[in-house]
Amino acid sequence: MPTDSNDTILKVTDLTISFKAYGGMVQAVRGVSFDLKRGETVAIVGESGSGKSVTIKAIMGILPGNAVIEGGAIDYHGTDLTKLNEEGFHEIRGKRIGLIFQDPLSALNPIMKIGKQITEVLHLTKKLSTADAKTQAIELMRSVGIPEPERRFNQYPFQFSGGMRQRIVIAIALAGDPEILICDEPTTALDVTVQAKILDLINQIKKERNLSVIFIMHDLGVVANMAQRVNVMYAGKILESGTAEDVFFRPAHPYTWALLSSIPDMQTKEKLLAIPGTPPNMIHPPKGDAFAVRNKYALKLDFEREPPPIRISDTHWAATWLLHPKAPKVDMPEILRHRINRMTGGVV
Amino acid sequence: MLLTLFLVMSLSFWIIRLMPKSIFENPEVSPEIQRLLEAEMHLDKPMVVQYYYFLKGIVLHGDFGTSVKVRPGMDVFRIISTRIPPTVMLNVLALLVSMPLGFILGTIAALRRNKPTDVVMSFLIVLFISIPSFVFASALQYFLTFKIPIFPTLYDSTALTLGAKLNSLVLPITALALGPIATIARYLRGELIETLSSEYLLLARTKGLTRAQATVRHALRNSLVPIANTIIPMITGIIGGSLVVERMYSIPGMGGQLVDSILAGDHFLTVALLIFYSAISLITILIVDVSYGIIDPRIRIGGRQ
Repeated sequence: MPTDSNDTILKVTDLTISFKAYGGMVQAVRGVSFDLKRGETVAIVGESGSGKSVTIKAIMGILPGNAVIEGGAIDYHGTDLTKLNEEGFHEIRGKRIGLIFQDPLSALNPIMKIGKQITEVLHLTKKLSTADAKTQAIELMRSVGIPEPERRFNQYPFQFSGGMRQRIVIAIALAGDPEILICDEPTTALDVTVQAKILDLINQIKKERNLSVIFIMHDLGVVANMAQRVNVMYAGKILESGTAEDVFFRPAHPYTWALLSSIPDMQTKEKLLAIPGTPPNMIHPPKGDAFAVRNKYALKLDFEREPPPIRISDTHWAATWLLHPKAPKVDMPEILRHRINRMTGGVV
Repeated sequence: MLLTLFLVMSLSFWIIRLMPKSIFENPEVSPEIQRLLEAEMHLDKPMVVQYYYFLKGIVLHGDFGTSVKVRPGMDVFRIISTRIPPTVMLNVLALLVSMPLGFILGTIAALRRNKPTDVVMSFLIVLFISIPSFVFASALQYFLTFKIPIFPTLYDSTALTLGAKLNSLVLPITALALGPIATIARYLRGELIETLSSEYLLLARTKGLTRAQATVRHALRNSLVPIANTIIPMITGIIGGSLVVERMYSIPGMGGQLVDSILAGDHFLTVALLIFYSAISLITILIVDVSYGIIDPRIRIGGRQ
């Protein structure tokens, strides 16, 4: 695992979260750890239901009422966010950590003017006067690429397109000058062409404001262009973690292989590989490696004992028995090897 | 709206007038005089002709006819005009009391969902919705004027100060408002619970708003649009309840007059009162319709495009 350093601003350690449900406790997050350094983008990728969103909701303190943080810590400047009460979070949310939602269509209050939804944050976090707040809100709207912000200021969300609404959501997240920006699948609900623009915008404001970004995404292709470090999450656990290069060019976990093999690209002629099966029931998570049943490379050991994180390099680790010195030598799927060779020119 | 009013006028005319029993059936009046009076009011002509005179009188002269039994010889419109203010005052006050209280209680129930407060409130809400207002009226009269005399038993129309007048109205207003309070609280609770779990409320909280701030600023107004729908039947409910409640507290309003006129067979007065009641309901419905646009900009601006 990456070593601790001084510019780490958020450190999640062994976070465990369960939900009370009728059938028992759903173990949504089972010991997740990662660091966020200043000015860095960390991505968490995984299928739906892998626990990505639950992790960030815990960081924001907006877990639903039936969720229980069973263990672990979220260290933010010496404060453990898992132990923080509602009042404490009022100082964190908006002011320190901003959140961009997945669906901008439902994230804005439909009957409140756009301008007011932004100035509300400014009043709250900076105690600005009405006139100052308006000036600053219009400035923010311009900086996220809203044309004619003065006119748009007095309009309602239904008069905006999806991409424009996402820009407004970004403006709202930035209004309190946070140092961490969490993006929860910020482009999933948008058209592909709009996606690219929103991603550019996120990269641009990140540079301008020296933000640290936690980027939640199920689309590995998007992550490649956004993140410096990538965590692959499955069934509530991080299975592989490393720099973007580590994960994309030297993937070690069969789940990462499977994810990468299922991405279409321009050159691949072969049939894309789908991952068979569905994620496990998290009320009774499987004993060994949670991915073993869907994994054609699974060893007998995978069904019995959970693999520990095994170090590959200073920045790269994966939780799979395949990396164990005594494991049989297994190669990644052909389609993936070809693709990586093509992209790196066979250097790596 | 005028069409509705016209239909109400026609319907009430036909239904009331097709009731058997002559208006002037009175053993003390001789048959000749009865016939003369009937001729003067066109009652000897066929119903269709009477209907024509009835419509013509209202449209051209604002003439709703003359009372024959309740206040013999008096113009119906004049009787009603003295009766409108107490009725309107009672109904409007009941509405003004029930809306804010309903909102507050509904919000509390939604925020304390499934906690003891909510359970107790839900129980009371069902109780108050199902019990009609006249039962409350007599219960309140019994307990708060007879057992513990806090309020006057009857409406004091001769009271000189507004305070004394309102004091004597407290019980009838309470009786009328309990049901609507419960109705609003119930619907608002349901709506708010849904709104509170919406994405934009989550966003409001990630902005750094407290739960209460987010509820008041973002959730409440969004929940009002569907609530406005329930206000229309509620208003007619209040008006219907006030018919009886006015009587019980001897408030000299339209309700008591309507009951009297029906019992006495004073058809002109009955029909006119029905028309005025419909007019009041129609006006409130109009106000509710207009308020949609005020609450929800999507209706206001969307309609313009």
